[in-house]
Amino acid sequence: MILLDILSDALFAAIAGIGFGAISDPPFRAFRFIALLAAVGHACRYCLMTFADIDISSASLAGGLVIGFGSIWLGKFIRCPMTVLSIPALLPMIPGKFAYNMVFSQIMFLQSSLPADKEKYMEMFFSNTMVTCTVIFLLTIGATLPILLFPKRATSITRRKKS
Amino acid sequence: METYSEHLRDVSRFIAEYSAHMMACGVHTSRIVRSAKRIGESFGYLVNLSVSQKNIILSVTDTNSHGHYNEVTDIPVHHISFEHNSELSALSWETYDNHLTLEELKEKYYKIINAPSIHPLMVLILAGLANASFCRLFGGDWCAMGIVFSATISGLYLRQRMAAAHINTFIVIIVSAFIASLCASTSLILDTTSDIAIATSVLFLVPGVPLINGAIDIVEGYVLTGFARLVHAALMIICIAIGNSLTLILIKNSLL
Repeated sequence: MILLDILSDALFAAIAGIGFGAISDPPFRAFRFIALLAAVGHACRYCLMTFADIDISSASLAGGLVIGFGSIWLGKFIRCPMTVLSIPALLPMIPGKFAYNMVFSQIMFLQSSLPADKEKYMEMFFSNTMVTCTVIFLLTIGATLPILLFPKRATSITRRKKS
Repeated sequence: METYSEHLRDVSRFIAEYSAHMMACGVHTSRIVRSAKRIGESFGYLVNLSVSQKNIILSVTDTNSHGHYNEVTDIPVHHISFEHNSELSALSWETYDNHLTLEELKEKYYKIINAPSIHPLMVLILAGLANASFCRLFGGDWCAMGIVFSATISGLYLRQRMAAAHINTFIVIIVSAFIASLCASTSLILDTTSDIAIATSVLFLVPGVPLINGAIDIVEGYVLTGFARLVHAALMIICIAIGNSLTLILIKNSLL
């Protein structure tokens, strides 16, 4: 049952990665690796959050790192720059629910008149904003770190091997 | 001597067009600079360029004759294309490794940028499925997924049509986010996870490319272009929030 949960999480993340990738017009050969990276990255975050009880921000950093290192490694096989693989694969990890709550609580704060309500929505706004911003920031760090660690490989990823 | 400097001019103009096109289709700055320098190097020229969000200034010097040519070019409006990103980057390596002539290089370049992209209908379906899966990841049920699928298709179709009519990007995003979330709010009629449906319906608009490229630019030292990209991404996210807010203001009583 646990395995089924992880697999379904990975499957839906893969579909999400492919679809978000399609909006940015990637090369056809990149789709399978985008799907793979999105699935592995999201499943990694899911496992850390569900089984190791790690918070969403740290788990997102781990997911981002998996995608970042995966894209620098897999990119070489299909001669695609790592951002082509990593950006669509990261998108399914954007904390949409928190971002939505951020907007929702802001509107409710502005439109409520009771101090108790205002306080509740203010607290909701800050906690959701904090999570949204931190997760997006850490995802970006995770995807960028491999470029800093392996600059030579990152810059020659589209070069054909000399025969 | 005359033909030589003409060659320098032609190569410089090509590099200006090449780097402006790369910037327009969402490539991070250091890759553009490296690719441009690489192409210049394969012709024996030294290329220096300064990239900003709207223009590229470049100076190309012939290391033998010390002749040089300057060019300032505007960055055209182009949709983000990972295909062009990878193919143009690979083209710079091919030029460097195989010493292509300018004619061969131009031929390959125009072949890449005129190649057909994915059919818009295919993009609509894939993006719809993606957002529906996203809804599932946040705990939405099958009914909410169906609603998000149709809401995404409506919002994205509207975005494609408005972008084709050259309407301002920010207005396009506000309207698409409003329509997508309004379509998703039909879930309130049904007994389903409507808040998740409304939350995920607008996420196909998230500007992932400028966000990540901005961060990469900043850590690689291109702080100005990096910030310009991040500011642009932040404005787009604010527009998504505005579009979503308009729906929430209309329906908030049903959500509480």
